[in-house]
Amino acid sequence: MWLSSVFLKTLRDYRVAILGWGIGMGLVVVSPMAGVGMLLTTPQAREELISLAATFAWNADVVAVDTIGGYATFKIGIFIFLIAVWPLLAGSRMLRGEEDRGSLDVLLSLPRPRLRVALEKLAAMWSALFAMGLLIGLLAYGGGWKFGGDFGLGDALLFGLNLALICAVIGGVALLISQFTQEQGPAAGWTAGLLLVFIVLDMVHRVIPNSEWISRFSPIYYYNLSKPLVPSHGANIGAMLVLLALALVLSGAAVWLFARRDVGGTVPLPRWLRLPERRTNRALPVGDWSLRSVYARSLGMIAVPAFWWTLGIAGFATWMVVVVQQMEARLSELLSSSPTMINLIKNMGSGDASLTAGFLSAMFVLLPLFLMAFAVTQVNHWSADEQDGRLELVLATPQRRLWVLLGRFAALGTATILISVITLLASAGAAAATGLHLDPGNLAAATLGMIPLGLLIAAIGYLASGWLRTAADTGLLSFVLAIWFFVSFIGPELKLPDATLRLSAFYYYGTPLLHGLQLTSVLGVVAVTALALSLGALRFIHKDIGV
Amino acid sequence: MAAIIEVERLTKNYGDKRGIAEVSFQVEEGEVFGFLGPNGAGKTTTIRVLMALLRADAGSARIAGLDCWKQSLEIKRLIGYIPGEPALDPNLTGGQILEYFAHLRGGVDQSYLKQLIQRFDLDTSRKFRQYSTGNKRKVVLIQAFMHRPRLLILDEPTSGLDPLNQQEFDRMIKEARDEGRTVFLSSHILSEVEKICTRVGIIRDGSLVRIGDVAEVKAIKRYEITITFATAIPAETFKTLDGVVEVETLNDGHGVRLAMQGPADSVIKAAAHYPVVSLTSYEPSLEDIFLRYYEADDARDKEAHDVA
Repeated sequence: MWLSSVFLKTLRDYRVAILGWGIGMGLVVVSPMAGVGMLLTTPQAREELISLAATFAWNADVVAVDTIGGYATFKIGIFIFLIAVWPLLAGSRMLRGEEDRGSLDVLLSLPRPRLRVALEKLAAMWSALFAMGLLIGLLAYGGGWKFGGDFGLGDALLFGLNLALICAVIGGVALLISQFTQEQGPAAGWTAGLLLVFIVLDMVHRVIPNSEWISRFSPIYYYNLSKPLVPSHGANIGAMLVLLALALVLSGAAVWLFARRDVGGTVPLPRWLRLPERRTNRALPVGDWSLRSVYARSLGMIAVPAFWWTLGIAGFATWMVVVVQQMEARLSELLSSSPTMINLIKNMGSGDASLTAGFLSAMFVLLPLFLMAFAVTQVNHWSADEQDGRLELVLATPQRRLWVLLGRFAALGTATILISVITLLASAGAAAATGLHLDPGNLAAATLGMIPLGLLIAAIGYLASGWLRTAADTGLLSFVLAIWFFVSFIGPELKLPDATLRLSAFYYYGTPLLHGLQLTSVLGVVAVTALALSLGALRFIHKDIGV
Repeated sequence: MAAIIEVERLTKNYGDKRGIAEVSFQVEEGEVFGFLGPNGAGKTTTIRVLMALLRADAGSARIAGLDCWKQSLEIKRLIGYIPGEPALDPNLTGGQILEYFAHLRGGVDQSYLKQLIQRFDLDTSRKFRQYSTGNKRKVVLIQAFMHRPRLLILDEPTSGLDPLNQQEFDRMIKEARDEGRTVFLSSHILSEVEKICTRVGIIRDGSLVRIGDVAEVKAIKRYEITITFATAIPAETFKTLDGVVEVETLNDGHGVRLAMQGPADSVIKAAAHYPVVSLTSYEPSLEDIFLRYYEADDARDKEAHDVA
């Protein structure tokens, strides 16, 4: 049945995304609902929460943040970028991605109008988005029911619908841009850039008075006009209709252009916008440093993702250093009325330090988590290279398998060191600029101390890739990361035995911002890393490639 | 001449799936050896064992007297390789790929590399992902030839090449042979092997079934002629003619399909006695040829087994 039409086949392709993204994003919405209950124990705490939220008013409208639904709406304001990732990728991939792979040629060779094929694919993407919206709505309703929210099922479903509509707009932008690009990557990149612009445009009216007319140019503005989880505010049907119209116009224009252009080609741009004609070039990049060895090539491959991850990790650390002092007083008052939150911060930060220091330490514990996530993405590339046959020709040259593996690992190691050093410099600079006193040794320990953890997860990934295929390897590493995080930060609350807590790599990271680096712990992590890497290398040297 | 490739009772299995079983052959230095077989016969498995990408379960494979697994590094200095399904970094340009592999090989003669690029008329500034299938194949061909290897191991190297570039490839193989280098080439196209190889090995269902001179291939090569007539004709006319192996009657006697081996002269002359509407000649796939050629062997084996 699922293979009986283009629509159903495309929808079938989206089935994992519908469940994964729908449930994942649903949990993103539910998680602040779980947290806010702890913060709303006294009227004073409510006021502090509203006051604290007002500090972040540039990010999202502060509407009834002392309610379950209001707080969740406020918190996910910043997560719109995350939620838009799937439609952004799906929109850029829907037609252009299939053209890249050549599969659209086969599909269009069938006796079926091109317009219909495009419309069926578009309908499948929209159906997937609405299914995700439904899941998110249901989970939001479940969260509200569990944690005492005052919104009903209809409100929650409207919330999901509003999210689906903004996602359809973003997907439409990506689909339209992909008609003008030769590959799907640039279409996704341009859409991500535009999304950032939309987010900033929406923020303008919250920061600059009388500038609402500027924000009206952003679809995010119309998304934010609806707050169905806040019953006193409700959904703005007009704004939702604007989003629907935008999605229809953008997607319609994309499909119209697709039906008229060459398959595999792009919509012709006006002459003044076109790049100069390329001439046949037979030159060789003789001086390119990144082609001199497996290590150099691996470094070249990792450079761009490492840049973005550095920006994210160092940016997060710097932002935390900057804001922690600004919200010191409010944070203290707020947390003093919430024993559960204090415990959580103690688990993540420290049991004996001041709340501010503990809060900063707790936030810094997220840094190795981010670095390890970066390492997981790079292990995924290693594993995919073997699975897709890209190692075959490299291993046909006189290069030892061991050096090929170590070259890749060393490049990843270099990137993790650079990310950590830049994070150290950025946070030290931010601390100096804001006058926050941080022990330089401890700050160095907190930032550089994440290197062994990044290398540990990478080494485990390299070891597992000796047996597992790419998806299974990445899935396993993500699962390990999630379990470690759970054991370290929720485990103490659940009174897990010390032996269990020691199974998590975060246990050995400790609280370096407060207590410096524990040398024996670091050496232990390094030893396990070396062991995993050695076993992984041994396996790689002896295994059948690509089997 | 000494053997440069020596394969002895080589066996490789993929769990339950069949790989190759007890394959043995030798390739002499300086010859162009064709490794022929239908898809899935075990050609790529044999080649990947030679390239130390797979580890043999039993038997031995040696190149230039060196063990293919234990001394693979030394062997790879001697070899230029084209895999059956080449995959390269899609984000690198053709030029970057060639430079990268030149470095991994410890450097190559840049002027010779430029010559090869010129010969294949390759635009080196495009990303690999942007190349057509034929241009991707050119990049892979150039990287295999650019260090003037002593032995070329080529797994179906011409698939995707246009006729002009196939001719260029044939010339390069001849040049390699003239320079005394060895070529081990796998293919499932009979005419290609017939054209450029001096000796062939035929592999089927993971076992080497025949090895010998290229004339052996010609012996099993068949083609088909389909003739349509304006009137019904007696099919017996063709049965006894030279070169005709099988005759099948079509369209109530208005046509015949002939399985041929050798010249078609007598068939053409016989057909000329009747009003011919159309005549088409067709070279069947290797799978079809093998199926017909070896089904007789299988039937004989079965018969012998039943009698025993």
